[in-house]
Amino acid sequence: MMSCEPFSPELLEQAMIYLLSATVGSFVLAPLLIKLLYKLNITRRNEFDFTLRSSERSSKIGTPIMGGILVIFVVTIITLIFNWERKYTFVPIGVMGISAMLGAADDLLNIFGKKRRFRSIEHVKTLMRIHKSWQTRLWYKITLPLTYLKNFIGAFGSHPGRGVLVHEKLFFQLLAGSVTAWWIYAKLGGDWRSLWVPYDGQINLGWLIIPLVILLVMFTANAVNIADGLDGLAGGSLLFTFLGLTLISWIEGRVAFTLLNATVVGTLIAYTYFNIKPARFQMGDVGSLGLGALLAINVIAINKTILLPIIGFIFYLEAFSVVIQVFFRRVFGRRFFKMAPLHHHFEFHGWSEEKIVMRFWLIHAFFVFVAVWLSFH
Amino acid sequence: MNMLSPAAEQKIDEFFNLPFDDLKGVRCPYFNNARINRRGQLRGLIGRGSPKEIVEEAKILSIQYHKDIFDHTGHCHLGGENETATVTECIRRFLIDNNLGIDCAGFVSHVLINHFKETNNFNLARHFNFENKNFFRRLINHLRPIENMSVLTYSQDSNTILIANGTQNTDWQKIMPADLIIMMETGPKLNRNHILLITDNDGQTIRYVHSRAWSSEGQYGHGITRGEIIINNPTKNLLEQQWLEKNQTGIANETFLEAKNAKTLEIRRIKL
Repeated sequence: MMSCEPFSPELLEQAMIYLLSATVGSFVLAPLLIKLLYKLNITRRNEFDFTLRSSERSSKIGTPIMGGILVIFVVTIITLIFNWERKYTFVPIGVMGISAMLGAADDLLNIFGKKRRFRSIEHVKTLMRIHKSWQTRLWYKITLPLTYLKNFIGAFGSHPGRGVLVHEKLFFQLLAGSVTAWWIYAKLGGDWRSLWVPYDGQINLGWLIIPLVILLVMFTANAVNIADGLDGLAGGSLLFTFLGLTLISWIEGRVAFTLLNATVVGTLIAYTYFNIKPARFQMGDVGSLGLGALLAINVIAINKTILLPIIGFIFYLEAFSVVIQVFFRRVFGRRFFKMAPLHHHFEFHGWSEEKIVMRFWLIHAFFVFVAVWLSFH
Repeated sequence: MNMLSPAAEQKIDEFFNLPFDDLKGVRCPYFNNARINRRGQLRGLIGRGSPKEIVEEAKILSIQYHKDIFDHTGHCHLGGENETATVTECIRRFLIDNNLGIDCAGFVSHVLINHFKETNNFNLARHFNFENKNFFRRLINHLRPIENMSVLTYSQDSNTILIANGTQNTDWQKIMPADLIIMMETGPKLNRNHILLITDNDGQTIRYVHSRAWSSEGQYGHGITRGEIIINNPTKNLLEQQWLEKNQTGIANETFLEAKNAKTLEIRRIKL
């Protein structure tokens, strides 16, 4: 069943079954996952994470990370078994998987990986002059633009020298975005080449939808990753977002996406239960990158692309706070916020973690409802 | 006018008493970015920050790296009410250990910008000429003027006019507050430049303030300092006068030593 009548009670009932099953399944699996993460020693370490060095956050040392596997695993299994449609759910799950694997690699390398070499432009320029091998000197000359790019992108990274480097991360996200763009452009049909605009109908973008989709998938995945800095913040906010998406998909009678989003909501209920302070586990890049990519794809796939910054308000706000901070730091040599992302700024103002998270949840919930309301027009 | 403007004096006072909450007397240390060559960084981290920015960076570093010196409200955890001197020294050491401070040109720039804004309604940073033809360098200079106002740019004729050559006889009455004593190619290796800001001249004594590090003061003794040049021999040049700083004169006064060793020693005035 690809689509049905809008506001279909049968579809809503079916979505509730998916949601409840995912919740129960996740609640059963979560304690097992926590045990496994402890056993494998996949926990937050002080020496790799400067944010843990403040006295208020030192209690997080030793908390398992990669808890986002729970959501990725349950959503993938339920969708594969009960909601598999080659046209609709194949690519969202696939891209979520690619992003999650990238995040998992980053998480694992951050814990177990060796410190990685990251050469500055000055260092490479020196090597270009003095390296004993002419082939190596030539190689440095040829790849100099790449070095500039790496250094520029590296300014946005939070773990310089460890884990997956920022430019590598962006490469894989570009891949995930490209798969999505190809799917939207080539497989979903002509309707998806037009951008839905509230009150005004459609704007036909043609092939321009491809770079837009790539950009949105990459940006949203990173935005969720950035927002995943406090216990419960990303999980709770994603819960509201996917609830909103479930409602919009149900209103429009998009069966596959209603069920997929409902499944995500179900798993996020269990995930957030274990993730609120004091967290039993944390999402990690595996969850934040995977779910960020899924969020972008699902919004684009139900042709509500323009609502993405509203339905993912807190993620976009957090991501833009980093962009603004880096811009001010590099261009004007000053801070715009005391620290970025935005939740750290409020921490520096003395707000408790719980206060920040709950206020961010409420603000985010408001914007999700705004997005749902806009989707009617 | 024989004094710097109140805004400039206030800025100097802020460097002498960094604006930490409930804590007076933390003198801003000297820090020169040439030692570690940070690029494209916050100006507070490269020796060019305002007093407020230096304090903010200190607080952020303290909280971020669990140093337990300041809490979220900016309150200092160290010592009790009767231990102000110890606390002040401890914070100074924290600033120096974390490469926070101000270099000579940065200090002079902050003070002069305030001075000319108040006295002439003149934005020194905007009108400063960096003499750079490269478009990107010019853009960077425009966006980050204080970081690019170096001793070299202060010594250029496009920004300042020569009032007196330090090695020639001088009419001491001509020297005014906000004039600059510029030393080019000095230090043990003759590879350093230095700048002093004249705050006062009564005809007999020229008073100055600067940010500097003396080798005799060790790792933690440096920072913003006042000094004076007593005009004992009005008919002779600047180097023939008595330089007094921290009760040191002659070559024990390392500022004088730097002036003596400088390839070029000039007194210059900002061109308005």
